[in-house]
Amino acid sequence: MSRAYVASVGMTQVGEHWRKSLLDLMVEASLQAMNACPSIVPDRVIVGNMFSGAGSNQEQLGAYLASQLNLVGVPAYKVEGACGSGGAAVHNGYLSVKADESEAVLVCGVEKMKDLDVGRATAALAMADSAEYTQFVGATFISLNALTHAMYVKKHGVAKEEMAGFPVLGHRNAASARHSMFKRPITVEDVIRSPIISDPIRLMDSSPICDGAAALLIVNERKAKELGDVMVEVAASEVAANLFTIYERPDPLDYVATRAAAGRALAKAGVKIGQVDFIEVHDAFSVTAALALESMGVSGPGQAPKDVTKGRFNLDGELPINTFGGLKGRGHPVGATGVYQVAEAYLQVSGKAERNQVKGAKVGMTHNMGGVDTTTSVHILRREG
Amino acid sequence: MKPNSRVGILGYGAYVPIFRLPTTEVARVWRGEGAGPNKEKAVAHHDEDTFTMACEMARRAVRMAGVKELGAVLVGTESKPYVVKPTSTMLAQALGQHFTLAADLEFACKAGTEAMQFNIALVSSGMIRAGLAVGVDTAQGRPGDELEYTAASGGAAFVIGPATDALATFEASTSYVSDTGDFWRRPGEKFPSHLGRFTGEPAYFHHIESCVRAHLKETGHTPSDYTWAVFHQPNPRFPLEVGAKLGFKPEQLEPGLLNMSIGNTYAGSSLIGLASTLDVAEPGDRILMASFGSGAGSDAFTIEVTDRIVERRKLGVPVKDMIERSVKVDYALYVRFRGKLQD
Amino acid sequence: MTLINPISYWRLKDRYFNLLGTKCTKCGAEWFPPARVCRKCGCQDLVDHEMPHTGRLLAHTVLKEPSEEFRSSAPYVVGLIELDNGQRLLAQVVDVDPTGLQDDTRVRLTIRKLAEDTKRGTIFYGYKFTPLP
Repeated sequence: MSRAYVASVGMTQVGEHWRKSLLDLMVEASLQAMNACPSIVPDRVIVGNMFSGAGSNQEQLGAYLASQLNLVGVPAYKVEGACGSGGAAVHNGYLSVKADESEAVLVCGVEKMKDLDVGRATAALAMADSAEYTQFVGATFISLNALTHAMYVKKHGVAKEEMAGFPVLGHRNAASARHSMFKRPITVEDVIRSPIISDPIRLMDSSPICDGAAALLIVNERKAKELGDVMVEVAASEVAANLFTIYERPDPLDYVATRAAAGRALAKAGVKIGQVDFIEVHDAFSVTAALALESMGVSGPGQAPKDVTKGRFNLDGELPINTFGGLKGRGHPVGATGVYQVAEAYLQVSGKAERNQVKGAKVGMTHNMGGVDTTTSVHILRREG
Repeated sequence: MKPNSRVGILGYGAYVPIFRLPTTEVARVWRGEGAGPNKEKAVAHHDEDTFTMACEMARRAVRMAGVKELGAVLVGTESKPYVVKPTSTMLAQALGQHFTLAADLEFACKAGTEAMQFNIALVSSGMIRAGLAVGVDTAQGRPGDELEYTAASGGAAFVIGPATDALATFEASTSYVSDTGDFWRRPGEKFPSHLGRFTGEPAYFHHIESCVRAHLKETGHTPSDYTWAVFHQPNPRFPLEVGAKLGFKPEQLEPGLLNMSIGNTYAGSSLIGLASTLDVAEPGDRILMASFGSGAGSDAFTIEVTDRIVERRKLGVPVKDMIERSVKVDYALYVRFRGKLQD
Repeated sequence: MTLINPISYWRLKDRYFNLLGTKCTKCGAEWFPPARVCRKCGCQDLVDHEMPHTGRLLAHTVLKEPSEEFRSSAPYVVGLIELDNGQRLLAQVVDVDPTGLQDDTRVRLTIRKLAEDTKRGTIFYGYKFTPLP
């Protein structure tokens, strides 16, 4: 069984790409990754994406991308897990290399959201949850997280100023990141004064609707060595599914899938959570970051907002999170996010993170959720040598 | 009309939405000042319609009646959510009834009492054991028209069944009709049209008086034989006027008079007046109910209250409580709720 | 985009009008949304069973940015409701002033319109909840 390595990455700017289509974005990110290693020709193409059908009338994205890259005859297909599609796509690429069924896999995550107006985008995002019992009653994806946020605050008595620490940190890190959507820092006041979208979630607690694509080349040990560059191993890749809706779960505040995937990943990589140098955590909303960090054992119950406010998670803090801005600051083109996270983790552990470099980063973790911790993947990247 | 076997009311339930539009609001928008003949009217929320309200009143009636099967589900209304597709089958599904005679009836404001007439016949013939009659509307007035003061939402449902199980029984009923076009709506039109003052004497008064006089003759009763009288109430004044003309005293009408606070619920109007009267009636009381439907016609009933009413009505929700549970809206919200804006 | 396919909706009528869930024939556990495999004992033999129509409000949110099918309804309250048999669901909470709404309020089912497929298509009705009485 081979080991799997990230050989190179590609990322488009995250933002409003009026002039770029779904295909334009996928090709741009993919070519960036491929051109960084011209000697490697992918033998498999996997696309992670959530709603190309509802948003662009387009399915079959694997062949769609492979065809444009003149990769005929290779296995090519789309992997979907709502906003966790990216992580699931990376996992699939990892499995192919580990099983010795591929030597070099192109994994590309992409989402084209801005072509839809807010009402249609909201409806498309709601497809992550039950059509018959969530969408039908008029609950949107944000409202599920709002209910979670309300219950979390009620249980732990968290102040809104403390929760605001997450988006503030996200914007601060994003300001110096090349590919991020937001370049302007925000304050706690900005967050708690922003309009309510689904009480208690405010506009600035929520990651933006945006477009983007990120790509990775995942290769086997032999190909990685041939490149002669720093070797970044995918030390673990774990996915876990939860009970489908928050109302079917005994405790909606317990991110069971996050805990399972993170636990398995750390065990596989032979690493304890305290030895991880940074975490790219899924902050679709401030509350998801808090609950994810608590479910992973990084913070005690109800403590994550206090930790972020104290600076524990700053870029130069004890355990940096969302080093390029996370979903809030870098952006959240939903199906692409999981791939952006792994690409960012690669830049960190390979020392290529420029102004966002975590000093001495060697082991990084990424956490990507589809739905409300419904399809969750955790990856651990580790620099060799 | 006297059925061969005696039937009665096993249970009843009413429903009035919580919103109220003061008529001063209607007057403010269209005339700058003043008010309508009634103080307020009940307004359904944007997510309510004839079917949703029928579910509420029918479930209450069925709970009071304690029946598991209904051999008929008859809904009288002039504001069907679908012009073609019965509201009665939707209601039957919601009540878990499939082997049932379901039909929608239209006869303006008397469609509810018609549903009652047919149920009396079905039960007394032995074809069914119990059936449901519903009178319900989300009445729409043309913006700026005088009917906008009173056209309201609400109604009541009655489970009709054998007299041996009834809280009130029917002694007899009468129907009287003529082709009198006082108020109507052509296909494709959103709002009805009417002939103003013609809707009074030649329509409302003539049909109710003709019907009730014949009914009193058939039953051999006089107005003083009745404890209570319920008349269709298009505005607060008409029922008192027709009552007086027929020889009834205002006190006899009092519990059934709801127009001042909720307006005219059209096919629900007489039935909800009856429900409100049954809420306070004593065993042995005799009630006259006479509806009026434009087009035009009247149904009259003599109803006698039994001992069972005292315990049975504890399972219901008093109409008075529904009327008191109210939230005021202004004309703008009313227009939004009732879908009067073009999209 | 319509809220739901009309034929899908027809299949779901009793779920939406009467909270018809499922009940395990082996251990008696009740499930809503309907489970096909019992989560308590693993039995695959479950039958349709009506849930209680009353419960309490566990959490609620006032939603201001709806999906496009619900555009004409905003703002509205979405609640997480625990029925009297312990099963939970999401539903709009109606006939309330959202500012005064407390968790643990007792609520009951009421049938209301959810959306319509334009002026020409199907009207979608289903459950919402309203405070008792």
